[in-house]
Amino acid sequence: MRHEILDAPNFALLKLRFDGAGEQAVAESGALVAKSAAVTVQTSLRGGLIAAAKRSVLGGESLFQNTYTAGAAGDELWLAPAAEGDLKGRVLSAGESFFLQSGAYLAHHGPELVVDTRWGGVRGFFGGLGLFLLRISGPGTVFYGSYGALHEVEVGPGGYTADTGHVVAFTEGLEYRVRPFGGAKGLFFSGEGLVCDFSGRGSVFLQTRSPASLASFLHPYRPVKARGSSE
Amino acid sequence: MQFELRYQPAHTLAIVHLSPGEAIRAEASSMISMTSGLAVSTDGPLARGRGGLLRGMGRAMLGGESFFTNTFTAVGGAGHVTLAPALCGDLLVHDVRPGEDLLIQGSSYVAAPDTVTLDTQWQGMKGFFSGESLFFLRATGDGPVLLNAFGAIQTIDLDGELIVDTGHLVAFTSGIQYRVTTASPGLIASWLSGEGFVLSVTGKGRLYLQTRNPSEYGVAVGSSLPPREA
Amino acid sequence: MQYAVEHGPVFAWLRVLLAPGDVLQAEAGSMVTRTPGVQMDTRLNAGRRAGFFRFIVAFFVALARKLFGGETMFVNEFSAPGGGEVVVAPSLSGHIIGKQLGGGRRLFVQRGSYLASTGDVDTRVRFTGLRTLLGGEGLVLLECSGDGEVFVNSYGGITEVPVDGTFVVDTGHVVAFDGTLDFQVGSVGGLKSLLFSGEGLVCKFRGRGTLYVQSRNLGALVDWISPLLSG
Repeated sequence: MRHEILDAPNFALLKLRFDGAGEQAVAESGALVAKSAAVTVQTSLRGGLIAAAKRSVLGGESLFQNTYTAGAAGDELWLAPAAEGDLKGRVLSAGESFFLQSGAYLAHHGPELVVDTRWGGVRGFFGGLGLFLLRISGPGTVFYGSYGALHEVEVGPGGYTADTGHVVAFTEGLEYRVRPFGGAKGLFFSGEGLVCDFSGRGSVFLQTRSPASLASFLHPYRPVKARGSSE
Repeated sequence: MQFELRYQPAHTLAIVHLSPGEAIRAEASSMISMTSGLAVSTDGPLARGRGGLLRGMGRAMLGGESFFTNTFTAVGGAGHVTLAPALCGDLLVHDVRPGEDLLIQGSSYVAAPDTVTLDTQWQGMKGFFSGESLFFLRATGDGPVLLNAFGAIQTIDLDGELIVDTGHLVAFTSGIQYRVTTASPGLIASWLSGEGFVLSVTGKGRLYLQTRNPSEYGVAVGSSLPPREA
Repeated sequence: MQYAVEHGPVFAWLRVLLAPGDVLQAEAGSMVTRTPGVQMDTRLNAGRRAGFFRFIVAFFVALARKLFGGETMFVNEFSAPGGGEVVVAPSLSGHIIGKQLGGGRRLFVQRGSYLASTGDVDTRVRFTGLRTLLGGEGLVLLECSGDGEVFVNSYGGITEVPVDGTFVVDTGHVVAFDGTLDFQVGSVGGLKSLLFSGEGLVCKFRGRGTLYVQSRNLGALVDWISPLLSG
């Protein structure tokens, strides 16, 4: 499988080219841009999950994933994240872990790669937003997107602090502690106002825009519920 | 104090490098990350002198700006704080000098040190059906101001007159006058045209425009979103 | 008529120099600046050669769409008896390209991707089903023909695809395509995928011609941000 990332870092687009019939890639639902006509798609429930009635339980992740299978060598599959921003692929070796914000996951390939959604990591890393941390374990390649540009920070001996809404991913080997930031917690939209103090050795990938801030910006533009309606 | 701008023009990040003892005030929701040695304090509403007006405004009218600020001070040595706004787009630094103020459209302000004073100038006009409102901050003093734009930034050295859609305005220097007017003659035509209010700007000075209009974007996306409580 | 696309490919806007007699038709709400000598007239986009009955139908549809929050069908016409300059921009981030029409060539443009046109270009709305009349699923296309230039905008980057055979594109990612291509709107897989895959409809193109694909999709953005909204 060959991959090409176009239009990075602004509106990054992932082009996958299959090497032979039967080769597969798994993608987040809603990520399809285009494909060769012979590529077939199969929808399935994410492994190991209890089916929940509401999509919002999982925040930026849907219950379903789409598995695309090539019909012939040279077949193409084009995928894009929903947010305006960048996209990167990370090759993981066997047993290597990578922590990824759930809304940033785009696709992966490599039948042995594990996307662990039930990993008991820090609860409430992203506040009450419904986003959570995925633990991705190799071998395989995982593709993830960001809202805004991806800014990599190597954590030094002094540590580093970041707003959790801007954290996309970080490597294993880092220690992290989430705490409220500043005194004006009540003013912020749910999820803002939390920061994460990183220490140890590793890299943190930040996004230069925050989905929570976008949600906050869009809130007044939403249609208003009719009086007396129940949702 | 040094401003480093990266990932221009779409996803611009401002890295504000602070020397020991230096401080910068930034709009509360704009912080992304910082080095560990900075002290942070949260201040009340940004504008002085017209606090009453600000209290009466809902968040919606301020375009999502909270108008609470955080002050970051490098107490334990040099450090940096990274800042960015909510929407995609560019950032710019404008140096305010004594005698030349900068008028900033409300949601375009990001940060400035204490050598720059900010006051509100409420225009008091809601855009026709568009929910836009005109609200300026006047920056006076001596120092840099960090501004954000939705989209790319067009810098115009104006000497004459230009008609500008209000949502595309970022800031302009005090040598420029502005007058609010409707885009088309007649209110129905203005509603249908989608243009709402426009500004006629005249004079001599610098004008910063953004190539996208936040409320148009809000309407384009917002109308497809799930409804909310009133 | 002279024009320039500036600030592309990420936040492009279109600057047009109007000579006396020139007319630029642009999407409602797209004006950024104009010099004082430029006039703006608002009119209903019912097609240049619309008869009376067609006009009435178009008027009521336009009013319904405007009132129920659909895209507007009103356009603004800019002219400058003494010469002038106007700048127009789309609402979403992305690029703008100009396509020359003439000699019987047709261009289909996704409704949300139409920005402006010049000269004697006729734009007729085509709905691919009754549901799309009020903004439902499917593709709402503008069929452009005549003589002049059509300006289309993309949400995200634009990729030019020379189709020779078949190619499948998610409907939300279609910007424009040559009138020489056959197209068919349907679901990406079987019935299960229509309901669960999270993918919207796709458009299957067949034949020879150029297709323009954008790397972001408003529907996907809405799905991505919705779980992060409160209330």
